[in-house]
Amino acid sequence: MKINNFVIRMGVLLALVIALWVPAQVLAQEPAPSEQELENVFPKKAPYSPAADRKFPERVYWGDTHLHTAISLDAGAAGCRLGPREAYRFAKGEQITASSGQQVKLSRPLDFLVVSDHSDNMGFITDLSAGKPEMLADPTGRRWYDMMQNGHGAQAALEIVGSFAQGKFPTALVYAPGTQGYRSTWETIIKAAEEANAPGRFTAFIGYEWTSLAAGNNLHRNVIFRDDASKASQVEPYTTTPPYGSNNPRDLWKWMAAYEQKTGGEVLAIAHNGNLSNGTMFPLIESFTGKPIDREYAEQRAHWERLYETTQIKGDGETHPFLSPNDEFANYERWDKGNLDMSQAKKPEMLQYEYTRAALRNGLKLEQELGVNPYKFGLVGSTDSHTALSTADEDNFFGKATPYEPSPTRADHAFMKGAGGTVMSWEQTASGYVGVWATENTREALFDAMQRKETYATTGPRMVVRFFGGWDFETGDAASRSPAVIGYSKGVPMGGDLSNAPAGKSPTFLVAALKDPIGANLDRIQIIKGWLDAKGDTHEKVYDVVWAGDRKPDSKSGKLPPVGDTVDVPNATYTNTIGASELIKVWKDPEFDASQRAFYYVRVLEIPTPRWTAYDAKYFGIKMPPEVPMKGQERAYTSPIWYTPAK
Amino acid sequence: MKILREPLLHFILLGAVIFAVYGFVTRHRTDKPGEIVVTQGALENIITGFTRTWQRPPTEEELRGQIREYIREEAAYREALAMGLDRDDTIVRRRLRQKLEFLSDDLATRVEPTDADLQTFLQAHPDLFQSEPLFYFRQVYLNPQQHAANLAADEARLLAELQRSGPNADLSSLGDPFLLAPSFQNVSLAEVKQVFGEQFASALAALPTSHWQGPVTSGYGAHFVFLSQRTERSVPALSEIRDQVRREWFDAKRNEATEKFYQALLKRYTVKIELPEEKRVAQAR
Repeated sequence: MKINNFVIRMGVLLALVIALWVPAQVLAQEPAPSEQELENVFPKKAPYSPAADRKFPERVYWGDTHLHTAISLDAGAAGCRLGPREAYRFAKGEQITASSGQQVKLSRPLDFLVVSDHSDNMGFITDLSAGKPEMLADPTGRRWYDMMQNGHGAQAALEIVGSFAQGKFPTALVYAPGTQGYRSTWETIIKAAEEANAPGRFTAFIGYEWTSLAAGNNLHRNVIFRDDASKASQVEPYTTTPPYGSNNPRDLWKWMAAYEQKTGGEVLAIAHNGNLSNGTMFPLIESFTGKPIDREYAEQRAHWERLYETTQIKGDGETHPFLSPNDEFANYERWDKGNLDMSQAKKPEMLQYEYTRAALRNGLKLEQELGVNPYKFGLVGSTDSHTALSTADEDNFFGKATPYEPSPTRADHAFMKGAGGTVMSWEQTASGYVGVWATENTREALFDAMQRKETYATTGPRMVVRFFGGWDFETGDAASRSPAVIGYSKGVPMGGDLSNAPAGKSPTFLVAALKDPIGANLDRIQIIKGWLDAKGDTHEKVYDVVWAGDRKPDSKSGKLPPVGDTVDVPNATYTNTIGASELIKVWKDPEFDASQRAFYYVRVLEIPTPRWTAYDAKYFGIKMPPEVPMKGQERAYTSPIWYTPAK
Repeated sequence: MKILREPLLHFILLGAVIFAVYGFVTRHRTDKPGEIVVTQGALENIITGFTRTWQRPPTEEELRGQIREYIREEAAYREALAMGLDRDDTIVRRRLRQKLEFLSDDLATRVEPTDADLQTFLQAHPDLFQSEPLFYFRQVYLNPQQHAANLAADEARLLAELQRSGPNADLSSLGDPFLLAPSFQNVSLAEVKQVFGEQFASALAALPTSHWQGPVTSGYGAHFVFLSQRTERSVPALSEIRDQVRREWFDAKRNEATEKFYQALLKRYTVKIELPEEKRVAQAR
C-alpha cells in the first residue's frame, strides 16, 4: 500500500514539477547559474542603504560532506549501529547514544550534512506488507497483512522471520527474482535525507561515496546531489565492482553526465585522501592507462570535481615537508606511510601527486599544456567518520569508527598495518569541517556555492574567513565596518578568477579572519602563492600577511617568530591570553608578473591548543606514549583565487 | 527437529532466503545441486539494475559481461556457504543482523498515524516540538585588544552616541571593523549561539527590547545591542508541524518495535552466559 501510494505521490509530484517547470523554461529561458551571475547582481551604483539589495552571502554555513553510518558495510561491520536518521539528528544538535553506549552531543549544531554511505545495494523485503493480491489470497499472508494494518507489525515480523527459519514460509509468497520485492538501501538513504531536510534551517543532502580502491590506492569520491528524491531516486548510485561499476574516475564522470542528462538534475563529486593514493590522486600520467592525461580528462575533471576534501580524520592533505621544505607549518597531522590498505609503502616521488598545494601547482602546468586546468579545485574539510557522528572537535572527538569512540585504550594500538608500515590509532586526526558562503541554508544555495568554490576547509574550529581578490583594494578597506560589502563590490571571493591585469597593477587581496566564537584565538593569516614561470617550472611561497601581537619577522630568514604557547597538557587546557580574536588586512602581491599563471589561497592558524590525545589522557587518567603529539595549531584553508594571463 | 532451533542455521537460512528474495539470486528451490539457472527474472533484474545506474539499457556485450559475473558470483556464493565461510565472520553476522532489523523495522512501521495519534503524541512530548525564540537586533562591536586601557571610556562614549542616535543609528562608522553583519533579523537562538557563542546568546535572551545597551560580551569582545523584537518559545499547532510530529512518532514506534521484536525473539532461546574468569574483566572506573 505504502509503496503504491509513494509511487503515485511521486508521479503526481513529478507531473507537477514538469507542468510548472516547462512553461517557466519557455518564458524565462533561465540560463544555468554562472560565476558571473554573482557579480551581476550588483548594480553599478549601490543603493544608499548598505543592506538594501544585498544578495551576497552574509553568513558562513558549517557542514560535513562525508559521513558514514551503519549502512556502510565497513561501518556496520565495525559495530556502528546508528543509521542516517540518527546521523542527521546528531548533526542538528540533538544528544544521542553512540554505538558504544556513550551519550554524545555536538557543542553546537551543524548547518548541513551529507550522509555519504558506501552504497552497495543492500536490499530487504517490503512488499510483504504491500497487500498484493497473491499475498492476500494466502491465509497466512492475509493474517500477517491484517496484523500489520492493525499495528501489530512487530509480531508479524517475528512470525515471518520464524517461518523463514523453519522453512514454512508460504510458497505463494515467495517472490520470483526480478519482481520489485525489495527496496534498495539507496531509497532508505534518500528517505532519511528528505525527512531531515528543513530548508532555511538545516540542509540534508542526498549523496553517496564511490569507493574506488585500485590496488589499494585511494581514489574515493563523494557524490552529492543538488536534487530531491524525485530525481535522485531515478538512479542507482555508481559502484566500483564490475560489471555494474568501475574504479576509474572517468567512468564515474560518465555516470554523472548520464544522471544529469536524463533527470535534469545536478551532481558534484569531491575526492579525498590523496595522501593514501600513492601518487594516483592528482596524476600527470593516468594510472589506468599509463598515458599522460589528455584534454578530455582535464575538462571532465574540472567540470565534475570542483572541490577537494583536503583535511579529514585520515590525515591533513594541504602539503608535506618534502614538497614544502621552507614551510614550517607543513608538517601537520601527516599520514604518509603508504596507501589506504598499507599494501604498498610511500615513496617521496609519489607525494607531488597526492597533496593539495602540489596539485594546484601541477594544475597550472597542465593548463599551459592542455588549455584546461584539471586541478582547479576549491577546498573543503570533512570527517569521513564511520560512526554516524560528525565530530571534529578535539575535546569531543568520537573517532574514525565505533571501536575508536572514547575509551582508555583507543589511542594505543595499530590502526592499520601492512607492507607500508604501521599507522597507530593515536594518529587519527580530529578533523574537519567545511564552511560554505551561501546566500541561504538550502540544498540549492549551498550546492551552487560549492560549485563556485566559495568554500573553505577547517581542521575543526569554526573560524569565519573572508578572502577577496581584485585590482583596487586599498589599505583603508581593512578598516571598513562591513568588509564583505567592499570585498564583493571591488573583487571576487574565494574560488574566483582574476585576469586582464591592468597595466602596471598587481593583484590586491582583502583577507580577514574571526576566531571561532567558543574557540582559540588566531596566530596569523598567511597567503600561499603558487605560480608557473616562463620556463614551465612551478614555485610556491608562503607570505605572513597579518598576525597577532607586535612580533617582527626575523631580518635574515624573514620568518615570523612563533605566537607562543599557553597549552597546559596535563590539564588539557589553554588560555586566550595570546593571539587575536580578529585579523584583517589588505595585501598586495609584491612579486607579481602579469605573464605568469598563479593561484593564491589563505591559511589561517590558531594559537596552539590541546590535541584530542591530551583530552583523552586527562579524562581517562592515562599516560600516552612519548611519541604521541599532545597539542597542535588548528587551521583553515580557503579555496584559491586564480590569476590567468589574458591570451 | 532439534537442528531447526540452531541459531547458526537460522542465520544461514535467513541469509540465503533474504538474498534470494531481494533478487540478486535465482530461485534456489528450483535449481538442482550443481546447476545454475539464470532465470528470466534474474536477467530482468540485471537489466533493471544496469538501466537504473546508467539511464539506458545494457548493450549485448555489457549484458554478456554481467551474466558472466553473475554466474561466477552465484557459484562462489554457494561454495562459500557450503564451506561455512559465513560462520564466525563478524561482518556477515552484523550484516545479517542489520538486515533482520531493517526487516522488522519496516514491517512494524507501515501504518500511518491518524491526526488523533499525532495530537496525543504532541501533547505528551511538547519539549520535542517547542519552537526556538527568534531575535531581531543590530549590533556594534568593540575589539578590546584595540582599546586596552581606554576600553571602559570608549565603551561609555559609544553607548552614549548610540543612545543619542536611536534605533536607526548609522552604524557604518561606529565601533571597530567586524566580520559579522551589523544587523540580524529573524534569527533563532540556536543561530545566535552558533554565530556569537553561548554567552552572548544567553545575554540576548534576557535583554530588554527597544533601546541600545551593552556591553554584551561574546568570545570576540564587547557588543552594543539594539534588540527590536524577540519572540518567546511556544509549541506550534499540529497543522504547522505535522511532518515533524509524524517523523518523531515513527521514530518512537520504531524504537518500541525493535524492543518488542527482541523481547519476543529471545523468548525462543534459553540464554546461558559462561562468564570469563574474574581477572579478565576490566574494572569499571
